[in-house]
Amino acid sequence: MTVTDAVPDAVPDAGSGTAGPGTRRRGRLRSLRERTPATVLLAFAVVALVVAWSLLPGVFTHHDPAAGVPADMFQPPSAAHWFGTDHLGRDVYARVVHGTASSVTSALVAVAIGVLVGGLVGLLAGFLGGLVDTVLARFVDVLLAIPSFLLAVVVVSALGFDTVNAAIATGVSAVAVFARVMRSEVLTTRSAVFVEAAQLLGASRWQVLVQHVLPNASRSVLQLAVLQFGLSILVIAGLAFLGYGDPPPASDWGLLISIGKDYPLAPWLVYAPAAVTVATVLSVNRISRWLRTTD
Amino acid sequence: MKNPRPARRPHRAGRAVTAAVGVLSAVLVASGCTAGGATGAGGGEPQEGGDLTFLIDSLGDTWVPNNSSISSFQGHVWGHVTDKLVYVDAEGEVSPWVAESWEQNDDVTEFTLHLRDDVTFSDGSPLDAAAVVANLDIWARGDIEAGINPIGLFPKTYDRAEAVDATTVKVYFSAPTLGFIPTLGYHGSILLSPETLALPAEEQADLANDIGSGPFVVESWADGDQVVLTKREDYDWAPEALDHEGPAYLDSITYKVLAEPSLRTSAVQSNQAQVAYNPSPQELSFYEEQGFTVAAPRYLGFVNGFAVNTQVAPFDDVRVRQALQQGIDRDEILSTVYTDAWLPAESFIQSNVPGASDHADEFAFDPDAAAALLDEAGWVEGPDGVREKDGETLSLTLYPNPYLATSQAVDELVAQQLGAIGFDVDLQAYDVVTYTERIAIGSDAVPAYEITRSFIDAGTVAGILTDADNGEDWFNVGQGDERLNELRAGISTATSVDERDVVLDELQSHVLEQGYFVPLTQIVQRLYLQSPSLQGVSYNGVAYANYYTAWLDR
Amino acid sequence: MTRAYAAYAARRLGQAVVVVLLAYVFTFLVISVLPGDPVTTTLRNPQNNFSEEEIARIVAYYGLDQPVWVQLWESLSRFVVGDLGLSLRSNLPVADLIGDVLGSTLRLATGALAVALVLAFAIAFGVRHLPGPLSRALRSFPSLFLSIPNFLIGLLLLQWFSFQLGLFLVVDAEGGWATFFAAVALGVPVSAQIAEVLIANLDHAARQEYANLARSRGLGGVRLFTLHLLKPSALPVVTVVALTVGELLGGSLITESIFGRNGVGSLVQRSVGTQDLPVIQAVVALAAVVFVVVNLVADLVYPLLDPRVRLGATGRATRRRTRPVQEVDA
Repeated sequence: MTVTDAVPDAVPDAGSGTAGPGTRRRGRLRSLRERTPATVLLAFAVVALVVAWSLLPGVFTHHDPAAGVPADMFQPPSAAHWFGTDHLGRDVYARVVHGTASSVTSALVAVAIGVLVGGLVGLLAGFLGGLVDTVLARFVDVLLAIPSFLLAVVVVSALGFDTVNAAIATGVSAVAVFARVMRSEVLTTRSAVFVEAAQLLGASRWQVLVQHVLPNASRSVLQLAVLQFGLSILVIAGLAFLGYGDPPPASDWGLLISIGKDYPLAPWLVYAPAAVTVATVLSVNRISRWLRTTD
Repeated sequence: MKNPRPARRPHRAGRAVTAAVGVLSAVLVASGCTAGGATGAGGGEPQEGGDLTFLIDSLGDTWVPNNSSISSFQGHVWGHVTDKLVYVDAEGEVSPWVAESWEQNDDVTEFTLHLRDDVTFSDGSPLDAAAVVANLDIWARGDIEAGINPIGLFPKTYDRAEAVDATTVKVYFSAPTLGFIPTLGYHGSILLSPETLALPAEEQADLANDIGSGPFVVESWADGDQVVLTKREDYDWAPEALDHEGPAYLDSITYKVLAEPSLRTSAVQSNQAQVAYNPSPQELSFYEEQGFTVAAPRYLGFVNGFAVNTQVAPFDDVRVRQALQQGIDRDEILSTVYTDAWLPAESFIQSNVPGASDHADEFAFDPDAAAALLDEAGWVEGPDGVREKDGETLSLTLYPNPYLATSQAVDELVAQQLGAIGFDVDLQAYDVVTYTERIAIGSDAVPAYEITRSFIDAGTVAGILTDADNGEDWFNVGQGDERLNELRAGISTATSVDERDVVLDELQSHVLEQGYFVPLTQIVQRLYLQSPSLQGVSYNGVAYANYYTAWLDR
Repeated sequence: MTRAYAAYAARRLGQAVVVVLLAYVFTFLVISVLPGDPVTTTLRNPQNNFSEEEIARIVAYYGLDQPVWVQLWESLSRFVVGDLGLSLRSNLPVADLIGDVLGSTLRLATGALAVALVLAFAIAFGVRHLPGPLSRALRSFPSLFLSIPNFLIGLLLLQWFSFQLGLFLVVDAEGGWATFFAAVALGVPVSAQIAEVLIANLDHAARQEYANLARSRGLGGVRLFTLHLLKPSALPVVTVVALTVGELLGGSLITESIFGRNGVGSLVQRSVGTQDLPVIQAVVALAAVVFVVVNLVADLVYPLLDPRVRLGATGRATRRRTRPVQEVDA
């Protein structure tokens, strides 16, 4: 996808405020109680539904996602089949619901890789500085210089085409973003007055890291991680579209769209999973935005 | 440096979602009722002129002729730019082309080819005996140190060829090679100018340097994008079997790459092109109703089916193998995944192969019989419907063949059908790269290998049955089946087709009775959706469309 | 300033070269992680019926039987003298392959950037100057654009404008309308990124005193927008555009596949499917060069343009409101 790393830093202040942790926490609690916009509630509702689908798919549909009735193939959406049926007569709604877990998991894997690897790189670079910082900076520069979707395609082609590998590839392509956000957060916090005070009071480097730097940095990393979750869903869907995702009979959303596009006469095969994908990503983006503005 | 935080109003995300869904459902209706293309009447007199656009999934990898000639994509272009020594039609009938006639000795080890004397390459040089010898040598041996591969399917028994005079070639083999003449009509056996053959790989890879003698010449090409062919006005040596002489009717053919199958069919439907290659079979009936033509020529070769690994439990038990054969409902596969143009398998080779016989009764769908066989073999139904024996479940992993687009859908259906008689079937699909690395015939991890393979001569079958003479040993029986060894020897040493056909019939029975092979359907690997204005297309033994005889009704 | 600037420029240039070389090596290492190569893969297609001995000889011809580090050294020493080698897939020179498709992708990317800028400025203008409900609706556009898989936009455009309306032919993918709609498909998500920055900066600028002052002096909406709101936003927009250049190349993979265009993206797809390492390496290096050059130019021009950007004692420029990684250039 073209939507990537420019987003977080595109907004001038992406959470780089220098207020102490205490004030932030209080502010957020208040905002939770007092001014949560309706769209944010709706976004949370969509995300909750998606989580429920992935945990308890059986509760939401009685159709079997794998076994179809061949005679019922290519039925348009109806009361019996909310999203219609596919080329083997399988219920598309059931396939979307049962594919949720895999779609959500792979996006989570991607984000986890980005947060852990990128976070660690950024943390080390920012905290240790000097030669470590210089070497890691070149590494991040290289990752940054390769368009992230191209990078994901190259990585997935090396690992082999399936969804877990697509998730890993997506995660690798997000490492640079997390690394530089983490690094700048660490630098900002390190030079903050309260951290200097702590150091003067005799706190060790690691105490400062654990007690002050990490909690402060985690804030903007969390907001970025939520945003990246939405992006990862799109990137993995894009990889699936190009044929680098899981093969059937898995039913990830991206894969469903990718298979569906081969049957233009049954457009619901594309639009049903696509609408679910868009709704999910939109909700996640909304939540990320809300997290950013409720500082 | 500090930046003031901009104030942000809450976004109306909810509204946007509703709007998006609205747009999508509008599209859903719109694209469901796309206007159809023109419906045209068939028949009539061929018309001269016209430009054909053929939409294709890919134009394959390299254009080095030897390295690409059997590709399902480049084969289309080669078929129009080059000629062959003989023509093999869709029924496997061999007829003269550049070779006017031929003889063989009694041992079938020496052949004499008599060539036409009027054939020229498009650069004006003659296609004579010396040129044919150069081609035979490069097919058999390649020039590996120059990056030119041999043609793997060319008989390995080839010894040498010599030009007796300008129009006579003598070819020698080290063992009886009944399949030599049919092989000359195979898509690998394309005749190129000796000058082309002498070029290094990186120059042969430029299609513009590849000089053939066919009815079309390369006008222009771009890697992975398109190839434009224009007709050769002085072409006058078409095979008699095609019923057309002189130059082609069409002025030009453009092979244009469009990777998405749905876009190819939509483009033909909206009259942007005349042919879409490899459309999705399940959409064909819709297009046929709108007046479009569907061509589903079968190639000569093996049917689509599973070669069973007889060394892997539980398939070392003939009863379990037979249960596989009888547990698959081929009619349901045909009606769900395919259309009327597909045929059920009658044997493990396609029914248009000369020498193929009808053995459909020996593996007909009979779930009760299949269940009885499994009971007898000791596999009893467990609580969840999956059969068990000695604590093991009756499981099977299928690996859909990535070279056949419909393979996944077929295997998903097979998994359902075998599930009904107590198998626990898993599907593991791979892309081509991973598949070729991990999935091999006879490997322990692969109990059933899905076959899609063409051949031009039934003698090829001898090479896959056992491991004798470097055979491929599809069923992993080694040489442990005496009867199979006898039949294999009978086929490979046969010196006449009639003699061989008798053995071939017995062989088909034996392989099917033993459950070595589980046939699915006859295979159509090359599928064409055509505008009704396109007439007179012919298909050869390997199912390539030939537009030399075609014309556009305008 | 001049000496400091020259030192700064030289160092940034050196870093850029290192990044491009590392990108080349990185790609090689990633692709070589797994065993297997395109040549063996093709040869093992059962249709080919090659013997193991034949396969081994053919693989040796391509040098793929050499140890990985030997292959890397050979490829790298060719690369530094500008030889990109031969494609394993097509046997053609990699430079020719890329040269043939570069024009198509440049046209697409330029078009997409133009579409993105026009869209972004239109949205930003609408957000500031349209009545409340419309403005709020427009504000959600960037978010929506970022939530739609971009292949969906491509498929919809193709379905409507080619197959239904017949405005362009998919078989003539380089035609005017075909290029325009492909540019729209590629440009929409990019426009969202630019629009977000624009809106954020406009919001910021609008709250500044001088805007109020200007308004009180009776400047019209459009003039206010261009003169006093847009101008201060220009530098951040340039920064975002510089960053999206790489994304245009990444996105071209999907867009070119859908619209049947023969560009760098579709070349990558063909090469990735066959593990055609020399081509993939060359394209990644090319992308890195483009990205590095665009950002290098931006970095070098900034200290000259913006008086607020000062070169530090070490000759280090700090771009205003720039991405954090800029500060990594220690």
